[in-house]
Amino acid sequence: MLEKLDKLFLEFKSSLESLSKEADILNLKSEYLGKKGAISKILAGLRDCTPEEKKELGPAANEVKNKIQDLINEKLNRIEVEAINEKLAAQKRDLSLTDSVMASNSRHGGIHPVTIIQNEIEDIFLSMGFDILDGPHIEDEFHNFEALNIPDDHPARDMQDTFWFHDPHTKTDEKKYLLRTHTSTIQVRGMMSRKPPFRFIAPGKVFRCERTDASHEMVFHQLEGMMVGKNISVSNLIYFMKSLLSEIFKKEVEVRLRPGFFPFVEPGFELDIKCLICKGNGCSVCKQVGWVELLPCGMVHPNVLRSGGIDPDEFNGFAFGLGLDRLVMMRYHIDDIRHLHSADLRFSEQFKTF
Amino acid sequence: MLISTEWISEFVELPNVSSKDLGVRFTLGTAEVEEVIESGAYLSQIKIAEIVSIEKHPEADKLNLVTFNFGGSENARVVCGASNVKVGLKTHYAPIGTTLPIGFTLEPKKIRGILSEGMLCSDEELGLADSSEGIVELPADSKLGMTLGEYLNEKSDILLDVDNKSLTHRPDLWGHYGIAREFSALYEKELKNPFDEKFVSKTEAFFTNEAAPITPIIEGETSCIAYWGLSVSNVTVSESPAWMQRRLTAVGLRPINSIVDISNYVMTELGMPNHIFDRDKIEESKIVIKKAGEEVFTTLDEEERNLKPMDTIISDGKKPLVIAGIMGGSSSGVTEKTTNLFLEVANWKPAEVRSTSTRLGLRTDSSQRFEKTLDSQLTYRSLLRIVELIKEICPEAKVIGKPVYCGEDLSAFSPLEIKITPSHICKVLGKELEKSRILSIFKSLDFKVEEVGEVLKVIVPSYRSTKDLECDADLIEEIGRIIGYDNITPEGPMLSVTPVRLTTAQRIHRSIRSFLSMNSESYEVMTYPLVGEKVLKKADWPSTGGLRILNSISKDHDRMRDSLIPTLLEAAAKNTKNFDNYRCFEIGRVYPDFDKEKSVLAVMFYSKESSPFLELTNTMQRLSDNLSLPADIVDKHAKFKSLVVDEDWSGLHPFEFKNIRIMGKPWGSLFSIHPLLLKKNKIKGHLSMALLDLSSFESKPMKDKTKYSPLAKFPEAIFDYTLDVSSETDVSKLLEALSKIKIKEIRHNKIVDVYEHASDRKSVTLRTTFFNPEKTLEGDFIKESEALIIKTLESAGFLLKQG
Repeated sequence: MLEKLDKLFLEFKSSLESLSKEADILNLKSEYLGKKGAISKILAGLRDCTPEEKKELGPAANEVKNKIQDLINEKLNRIEVEAINEKLAAQKRDLSLTDSVMASNSRHGGIHPVTIIQNEIEDIFLSMGFDILDGPHIEDEFHNFEALNIPDDHPARDMQDTFWFHDPHTKTDEKKYLLRTHTSTIQVRGMMSRKPPFRFIAPGKVFRCERTDASHEMVFHQLEGMMVGKNISVSNLIYFMKSLLSEIFKKEVEVRLRPGFFPFVEPGFELDIKCLICKGNGCSVCKQVGWVELLPCGMVHPNVLRSGGIDPDEFNGFAFGLGLDRLVMMRYHIDDIRHLHSADLRFSEQFKTF
Repeated sequence: MLISTEWISEFVELPNVSSKDLGVRFTLGTAEVEEVIESGAYLSQIKIAEIVSIEKHPEADKLNLVTFNFGGSENARVVCGASNVKVGLKTHYAPIGTTLPIGFTLEPKKIRGILSEGMLCSDEELGLADSSEGIVELPADSKLGMTLGEYLNEKSDILLDVDNKSLTHRPDLWGHYGIAREFSALYEKELKNPFDEKFVSKTEAFFTNEAAPITPIIEGETSCIAYWGLSVSNVTVSESPAWMQRRLTAVGLRPINSIVDISNYVMTELGMPNHIFDRDKIEESKIVIKKAGEEVFTTLDEEERNLKPMDTIISDGKKPLVIAGIMGGSSSGVTEKTTNLFLEVANWKPAEVRSTSTRLGLRTDSSQRFEKTLDSQLTYRSLLRIVELIKEICPEAKVIGKPVYCGEDLSAFSPLEIKITPSHICKVLGKELEKSRILSIFKSLDFKVEEVGEVLKVIVPSYRSTKDLECDADLIEEIGRIIGYDNITPEGPMLSVTPVRLTTAQRIHRSIRSFLSMNSESYEVMTYPLVGEKVLKKADWPSTGGLRILNSISKDHDRMRDSLIPTLLEAAAKNTKNFDNYRCFEIGRVYPDFDKEKSVLAVMFYSKESSPFLELTNTMQRLSDNLSLPADIVDKHAKFKSLVVDEDWSGLHPFEFKNIRIMGKPWGSLFSIHPLLLKKNKIKGHLSMALLDLSSFESKPMKDKTKYSPLAKFPEAIFDYTLDVSSETDVSKLLEALSKIKIKEIRHNKIVDVYEHASDRKSVTLRTTFFNPEKTLEGDFIKESEALIIKTLESAGFLLKQG
């Protein structure tokens, strides 16, 4: 009986192989598995067998039945897939015709590079607990000069550097307005609006009465920072500057402080970073010095604290100013600062975000 | 300013470090050295050589191959064209790599195929003569291998070019002696003092008891703080000695004659400018310091200068001689014929010197020093130094009388005293320092210190207290810079933790930027906040006012913008040349008046083909949803005019205009630019803009009103129907008519399709959706409602499409 089963299965396989139409396969199926099919006959014949034979033959017949069922399903499935694929092949589209290869592909968007860097730095300082402040572009003498320990006859007040709305030399009690020359004005506004200890940054546009060329602009961007508390030290200042710059440049940055004179800080520093291009060996970017001047900073001058209503005997602090445009130009290798305010979309589209 | 280290070495012994290190230490401790220049390296490179043999150059008739020895065991050979070469001749040999004093560097090169190992030099090439024939012929007994420096008795020098800006607050560093003091403190080396009491008594010994021929007087309010005058006679003006000429040349000053050179030398040595007159040219033997009249004065550079009554001058009995602290006149200067002198060492008010020199466009070595606030206490020392040098160079000169003084009482000066504790210094620097170290730094900087318990009473020298040092913070800087900030270890402070976040306005600005760039495919741009007539005119802008800048540098940027439209229109014209369509936006300030600055968002869509007005409307609608901003887009209203653009501006499209109403007020507008204005600006195509006054809402936190409602349990019913209306009918009219139907089960009415089926007719398919959250809608109710809808529309004049 077992041989008969094996023979039956082999017969089935060879007949299935030759078939390719769904109907023929279904016919074959009923030939073998139908009520009057070959397998059913064998199973029916079991009745006349001895218990031993039943025990042997029963499972074997069922196994063959299942195998046949599986093979048929598999074949039917294959035929269906082939049919669908054939149909899909007929409808095949050009999958290389993506937006990116189209001449009309102009739908992109992006944020201004100055904003990108500004947001990045804002986030670094937010993570270190600094608030972010803002203030007016049109300022008065008090906020831009006086409160920052820049006295009346200081050269910084001269007409060459500052855009004035009123003649600075006329004696009058009226407010004299000007375009802020630095974001340090926010130091004063920040101090007046809060109680120490505090820390904040203030990014924004500043204005200088200066002829424009590839590296000079009359409108540019600065970011001011200030931290006031008890026992703030130069060591703390260096710590924050190093952390900031390592975050900005995404690597450890070597910095050095050297004396720099700014009326609103004392001691005042110029902070240099080791040239990232030549790693300090000297190149055209750092003018062979190995260091690049990056930002002025220092300990807030006692007179400035006083202007902000803070007792310099109780509190002290540090402040710094960062030229954002310089950082933007360094990051993206932009060779002309004038592009930043040009609203030229050939420039903008280089900063697309998708 | 150029500083000669050779000169400095007269006052302090410089350590044996590289010239580069010297520059770095000064940069890190005092002021920025922009460049370290090795001057006169050739002096040790050029050596005396003797010609051993001469042969003809195989390729050139006029050239010789000259072999010579210069003291060593090996000979060298050069290609030489000089006609006076002969065996046995001694001359100067410059090897490859030498930079000659005329500025030419010898590179290794072949001359007609033969390598020349440098050159034999002429007087001209060595800068010893203006022109010369052939190579130098030295005496036969000249020593082989002797350097040019040894031969001329000259030394090479290292020059430090110090950034003048970094010396702004340090009037004491505008002379070599002051710089020497810095080096002495930086390297802990002793500073020599050639200007001690011995020097004073030795020089004062030249004074006589005769009456001074000239007594300077001050007339009225002037910029004079202190003025010393002294007469000297019997002077022979000659060339100054070589050492003086060399030092002056090294720091960039041109030697002129012995007296002028002495004047410049003392200025460069002690930092105190001075003036020497030809006394015979002082009329009526009078020196009067006074304010100028409106007059023309010829300075010694032969330029005519227009003086004003605020300028201080020094005049004689008849005419102005000097613009005080700035420059002398052409008529009273010292010449080769001068025999009698009047020496002036004075101090002038810095602000006045600066204002006169700025107005005249005349910045001199003298004026830039006075601008820094010099120390009057040092005037007398400088006068003595001039006398000492005159007597040294011109021993026959005779001082007549004693120095005569006018000005502030110099003896009334009381030195500045600052109290500080070592622990405070350490705390602010964040660095532990021994008290002895602090004391030694103060001493090296010429500060006297009295210890009172823990407190240090620091007495600041007069030349550091004119404006540089004022308070304890200044003393901390002195200690910090000398120990070097590099020696402070960075350390984070201990801080209390408080939450920080962006302000509402900052969050809104960020949301706008990310929405417009990511969801609306726009680029953020920036335009100038400063505008001019040209750009306003191009925009046919109704307001030409705006806040005016007094000292603008260009007519194109002489006032503040009161709107973003004109600069964006200019940008549009520029970009239209390069793009067929684009979208951009700016978040910028406008400045309608002082203290009235506002942040405004401007969005600009351009399309060559068709008006982007609807796309822009959709964008602004979605943006306000994104910001949770309660905003409606509404038509023009006679009473409620736009607050961001003048509705009468000629640049507005007659129909494509809407206002954006925020909290009841039109704080925004949407519009297309009128084709005529586009044509004027050479913009072909369609341009639409949206403006939103961000200041009107950005300080108020917006509430996120999103609220979940349970998912529907009962199905909606949908009713679609098509109306036949005139082409001019806006769909909003249909929706408006429908909104009058009060059936609470109507969820909404929407447009499904619009189809223009005739030139003046269109069919509009609408869909009304019914829904009841409590039960399934009944058929009868729906039928009745549909009938009501059709009836309402009919009575509003909108009929169902037939067939």
